Amino acid sequence: MAAQTLAEAAVSEGNYAVAFPYFGAERRGAPVLAFTRIDSKKIFSKTQVYAPDCVVVLDDSLLDTIDVVAGLKPKGMAIINSREKPEDIDLGKIIDTATVNATSIALEILKAPITNTAILGAFAKATGIIKIESLEESIKRKFGEKLGAKVGERNALAAWTAYERTITGKSRGVKKLEARKQWLPTHQEIPVGGCLIEGKTDAGLIGPGSFIENKVSGWATYRPLRDKAKCTMCLLCWFYCPEGTIVRISDRGDLMTNYDYCKGCGVCANECPVDAIKMVRARI
Amino acid sequence: MITIKELSDDNLFTAGHTACPGCGVAMSIRNAIRVLGKDTVVYVPASCAVVFGTTFPYGAWKVPFFHTAFENTGACLSGMQAAFEKKGKKVTVVGFAGDGGTYDIGLQSMSGAAERNDDVLYICLDNEAYMNTGIQRSGGTPFGAWTTTTPVGNVVQGNRRFKKNLGDIVAAHEIPYYATLSIGQPLDFIRKVEKAKNMRGFRFLHMFTPCIPGWKMDPAKTVEVTKRAVQSGMWTLYEIENGDKRITYKPGKMKSVKDYLMMQGRFRHMSEEDIKKLQMWVCKKWNLHYKEKGAPDVCEILPPVEHHAVTEEHREMHGP
Repeated sequence: MAAQTLAEAAVSEGNYAVAFPYFGAERRGAPVLAFTRIDSKKIFSKTQVYAPDCVVVLDDSLLDTIDVVAGLKPKGMAIINSREKPEDIDLGKIIDTATVNATSIALEILKAPITNTAILGAFAKATGIIKIESLEESIKRKFGEKLGAKVGERNALAAWTAYERTITGKSRGVKKLEARKQWLPTHQEIPVGGCLIEGKTDAGLIGPGSFIENKVSGWATYRPLRDKAKCTMCLLCWFYCPEGTIVRISDRGDLMTNYDYCKGCGVCANECPVDAIKMVRARI
Repeated sequence: MITIKELSDDNLFTAGHTACPGCGVAMSIRNAIRVLGKDTVVYVPASCAVVFGTTFPYGAWKVPFFHTAFENTGACLSGMQAAFEKKGKKVTVVGFAGDGGTYDIGLQSMSGAAERNDDVLYICLDNEAYMNTGIQRSGGTPFGAWTTTTPVGNVVQGNRRFKKNLGDIVAAHEIPYYATLSIGQPLDFIRKVEKAKNMRGFRFLHMFTPCIPGWKMDPAKTVEVTKRAVQSGMWTLYEIENGDKRITYKPGKMKSVKDYLMMQGRFRHMSEEDIKKLQMWVCKKWNLHYKEKGAPDVCEILPPVEHHAVTEEHREMHGP
């Protein structure tokens, strides 16, 4: 929606623009991509953007796992939702960077951690490609018609607040981000019929049960803490946990939570009959 | 009968899968496969379960897993079962289809398998809309619910049709076993899966599985919402064994349907008039299932009760 709003704002200034999301599963917590192309001439290119002029990152925890500036043009710019200053952000290259704490702005104004409109304000400030006024109009129209005029106005306010609080500077270029290893088999290596059997590759396990390689703790905002003294070992948390992070140990006499796989849903805390589980912030 | 304590520790559906936090489908699948054990072959049609459970080259299943198209769960199960029978292998052939893959798209092949009384276990994970593709209305969507294809406008608000009575459609095939399950009643859940596992012929388990983004609710409330659904009568727990219907769990006193609705964003727009309409539908269902012969009709509407939230911070994050 942010990509579309941005495109509409650009169009209202007399430019041409296209915006589209990367098709993926409709699932919470999944990293998603969206693209916007803005030009003064008609746009005929319909592909994804591989070498952007500007990268907007809505979640700075992605910086640890993905090289977000991999395709960025040398004179490009990165806009990052982070509480830190640009100088403290390590992108592996020294590039123009703007940061804004869009999450706290969104929590403050929208009362929900939805950062897409706030980050657009930062985009307007940092790049100057579009005016904040036309962005404001576009947000009010786009969000207003879908979610009501009040929501539109609040989102426009979030964009303005972010516009005022954006800090621009240069990122650091110290760390070397290794590309995530992927298993890319040749056609001879794939078993007949596309059937995947249990196996180990350079990139880790594949096939049945290999999802264990996928650590999902980064999704969690909260994580459960169990008070052993209160626990009656009713095993309801163990039964209900959709992830299987809670495992029985010491000959089924005790429980252990494997935080590598906890997404912080809070079902265990909500269902505990003796209130032995509390949810605490996973990362401060 | 197995209790929670006696359940296997084997993680046949491993951690690390990519379901949303608090996913009701993941919860149901994990516990169903715990009871079914490792001599099981799983078929999943197009659904969330195939996306979060098997993303090439990863897989969360530790049992043989098969996936083809959306509409052929019943046919695939029949074929797989026939192959295993020919090979002389004794396995439980089980299919996990969504409500879209059962109520609408997969109805014909499910009906075929039921009619042939093939020795397979069909599990419908009912989250009341096409959630994987972005929340479109299905035959299982209840009255009043918001979906992207039944939006809330000035004239019409939400879905105008009532939930299809799949239970009677399936039971009309005169199959050996049909049961409705809810993860909020663990012992009932385990008992029914175990019973279905040990029976022969076409068995159908109908699971109620909340969807966090589709129902627009707090991920911590997945189990609570199923409990409220049962208490209000939106979901009834019963089984039909060789034509004999038996209520397996009867909630004490009927709770207002509002109690259930207001937990979820998809119902929050509903007008008093619409809620009353839905309440009447629920009352009819309640009396059909729970009323004893000769007793008067029940339609009690109690005021909603507030339940404790997880923590202040959590509430701040996810809304009331």
